[in-house]
Amino acid sequence: MVASKIWRRRNGENGGETFGAEWPYLWTAPVVVWIRDDGGMMRLVVEGLSKTYRGGVQALRGVNVALKPGVLGLLGPNGAGKSTLMRILATITQPTAGRAVWNDTDIAKNPDALRDVLGYLPQDFGVYPNLNAMEFLDYLAAVKGIPAAAARRRIAELLALVNLADAAKRPLGGYSGGMKQRVGIAQALLNDPKLLIVDEPTAGLDPEERVRFRNLLSELSGERIVILSTHIVSDVEAVATEIAILGHGQMLAHGAPEDLLTRVNGKIWEVVVASGDLPALRAKYLISSTAHRSDGVHARVVADAAPNGAARALEPSLEDAYLAVLAEQRNGAAAGAAA
Amino acid sequence: MSATRSVAAIARADFLERTRRYSFFLALLFAMFLGYATATGKVFIQFDEYRGLCTSGWIGTLVALTITCFVSLVGFYVVKNCVERDRATRVGQILAATPLSRTGYAFGKFLSNFAVLSTMVGVLAIAAVAMQFIVGEDSRLDLWAMLSPFLLIALPTVALTAAVALFFEMVPLLRGGLGNVAWFFVWNFTLAAPIWSKRGWLDPMGLIAVMNTLGAEAKKYAPGYRGGMSFTIDTGQHITVLREWRFAGIPWTWEYAGLRLMWMGVACAIALAAALVFDRFDTARVADGKKEKPRKARAAARDAEVGEARAAAAGATVHLTPLVLPARVHAFGRLLAAELRLAVFGLRWWWYAVAVGLLIAQIAAPLEVSRGPLVASAWMWCVFVWSGMGARESRWGTRALLFSCANILPRQLLACWMAGVAVSVLVGTGAAMRLLIAADTAGLLAWIAGALVLPSTALLLGVLSGTSKPFEGALTLAWYVGAINRTPGLDFTGAANGAHRTTYAIAGLVIAAGCVAGACVVRKRQLGSA
Repeated sequence: MVASKIWRRRNGENGGETFGAEWPYLWTAPVVVWIRDDGGMMRLVVEGLSKTYRGGVQALRGVNVALKPGVLGLLGPNGAGKSTLMRILATITQPTAGRAVWNDTDIAKNPDALRDVLGYLPQDFGVYPNLNAMEFLDYLAAVKGIPAAAARRRIAELLALVNLADAAKRPLGGYSGGMKQRVGIAQALLNDPKLLIVDEPTAGLDPEERVRFRNLLSELSGERIVILSTHIVSDVEAVATEIAILGHGQMLAHGAPEDLLTRVNGKIWEVVVASGDLPALRAKYLISSTAHRSDGVHARVVADAAPNGAARALEPSLEDAYLAVLAEQRNGAAAGAAA
Repeated sequence: MSATRSVAAIARADFLERTRRYSFFLALLFAMFLGYATATGKVFIQFDEYRGLCTSGWIGTLVALTITCFVSLVGFYVVKNCVERDRATRVGQILAATPLSRTGYAFGKFLSNFAVLSTMVGVLAIAAVAMQFIVGEDSRLDLWAMLSPFLLIALPTVALTAAVALFFEMVPLLRGGLGNVAWFFVWNFTLAAPIWSKRGWLDPMGLIAVMNTLGAEAKKYAPGYRGGMSFTIDTGQHITVLREWRFAGIPWTWEYAGLRLMWMGVACAIALAAALVFDRFDTARVADGKKEKPRKARAAARDAEVGEARAAAAGATVHLTPLVLPARVHAFGRLLAAELRLAVFGLRWWWYAVAVGLLIAQIAAPLEVSRGPLVASAWMWCVFVWSGMGARESRWGTRALLFSCANILPRQLLACWMAGVAVSVLVGTGAAMRLLIAADTAGLLAWIAGALVLPSTALLLGVLSGTSKPFEGALTLAWYVGAINRTPGLDFTGAANGAHRTTYAIAGLVIAAGCVAGACVVRKRQLGSA
């Protein structure tokens, strides 16, 4: 039978295309078939994800987010649920409700579909102290099913990449915290993952290594999804193509960095006050940073209107936006409690 | 005042942390079961084939002795982790940076150990009172006769156990598996020494006075009593209850009570000795129980510095080559080799030398010696290789790294188990060859069961507990009681199982399969809740 109509539509999000075809039948309504072509692009979709731990602690409350290749910077205060979300996405914790879908596969039902292409750097992890870096990575390569020759090449590259080539034969038990962290980064990249989840990856790294790691993430993000959780807003600012802010287990904001900055456009002010007046200013406004100068304290204030006539409007930073989102949530919760 | 407060705070925090753990609850439950079994006649002291009426004195003495033996052996393993936990959680480094003294820390931990074990004794003491009414042979309650054995026999032994456990944790050599195994033999010695020597002051468990008192009474009431006394598990043997034998309790003298309290003093002295050898969490002094050779360490540090500087210069130009993999790669052989390497890593040359020696001895010795004590000793020699199985991921914090890998459950666990089996086969090959040459099919089957059941049990206990201690304790016990003292059913070599060798071997194979299946089920649950 010949289709009477064929549609072709470009998918806005992923660059793929959707084809539609309609067959007219005389005795029924037209039958429409849709074929979706995602252009071979990977997707991670989180739908209504919740996690309640034993004892009733609710770490995640109905989180929704859809990810495509790029770097998602996951921000949030301590206890916001970032690590829980990452552990669920890394398939090592089961959600209480909702689901996470990797390329149409529910990862709770079929975790191995994701694990094959997953690289995960947990916030806290250990190493076998009697093995050296090369042996430890070789062990994990075997666990990940990487053939010996490919593993050897990959490990050599990774050790050079994380600056451990010359310490590769020293037992891991003698490594410093930063060196162990770099071994952790190397193991996460062993299988050339399509989904890279890194939880506080720059903790313990010196500034030079931090910059190197940020550059590496940028380089890697082209053809894979990277989820980067951190407290360091500047790390996210440097590499993230999307930002998500979690608070009390809820998704408070999600979008491009520009979208977040737009939210606080025209709301950032520089106010100069005497040191003694700072506590009063702090009590009244959200202050994102202060700097002591010869003419007084320069306070960066987040407010809808200028705090006083001398206030000077500033370009918003991501840190301002982040603090503003958290403040909004706190104020909302306080208003809810009062009501 | 401040020092006392610090010691109390250390003891309190440690006590709360431990008593809120599931393992403490399990140990407490088992202790209660033992007390119940004792009071209801499942575990009892018999004098030849006689026993007395279950009076307050009888039940109190019996339950106190049972719990003393239990807590002094198992309790040691329950409490021997307080310093290790502070190392693992890095709380120790925080404490080390405070003005807290070594003695204060050690004494706080000793008090916590003592409190944990005393809780078990206390629960049993309360249960013993209830048991007298449950058993119902004598309704007259004599609280002193009932509780004094707990105070003067159990508590000093518990204090001693608490202090020795702490001392073992402070000495690098005894901190790990070697200490766990060594304690079993030390415990055996402390049980046997007073009986050989007949000296009251050499009796930390307080057995001599009980034996003397109860033995003298047995002579009075039991016709033809020949002087034997034993702790017995009820296996249906005939026991005569002498209703006229109403044991009124241990007649405490100042001298004997003083001797018991002396052990409290010894315990405090051992705790102080532990403080003397305590490294105060100085990781530079001791790395994982082994002192780094200074020259080697300096060289390694220099290499690293030079290397890092060189790599930092070159590092900016490093790029990753995309990894091209076949559609489906299992690489199981590689994983098995990696697990085997991991199992034997850190073993020194002398470990291999002894293993090879035992292997050669199996080939050279008479068959009965080869298949029995020699293969048992060869397998006992592998205790530290097996005890890490299934527990390594928890011990070293690599669970999250491993559990996020694909097909981890069948592949890694199976590879780990096969590595363990490979070790048992390798070190016991001499005996297997001898059995094969002698065409002893039943013996060979028993050997196969032994070679499979040990690594399988290790895997299950490791996965379940996340520590190496349960298997180290279990294998030491099975080796000593089963293989060396030739107890049928417990001898994993099968040499002592006589005519029932095939039956026991089949049972062993079933247990091995059950353990592997159990380990898989437990690991599957852990995978979703790590």
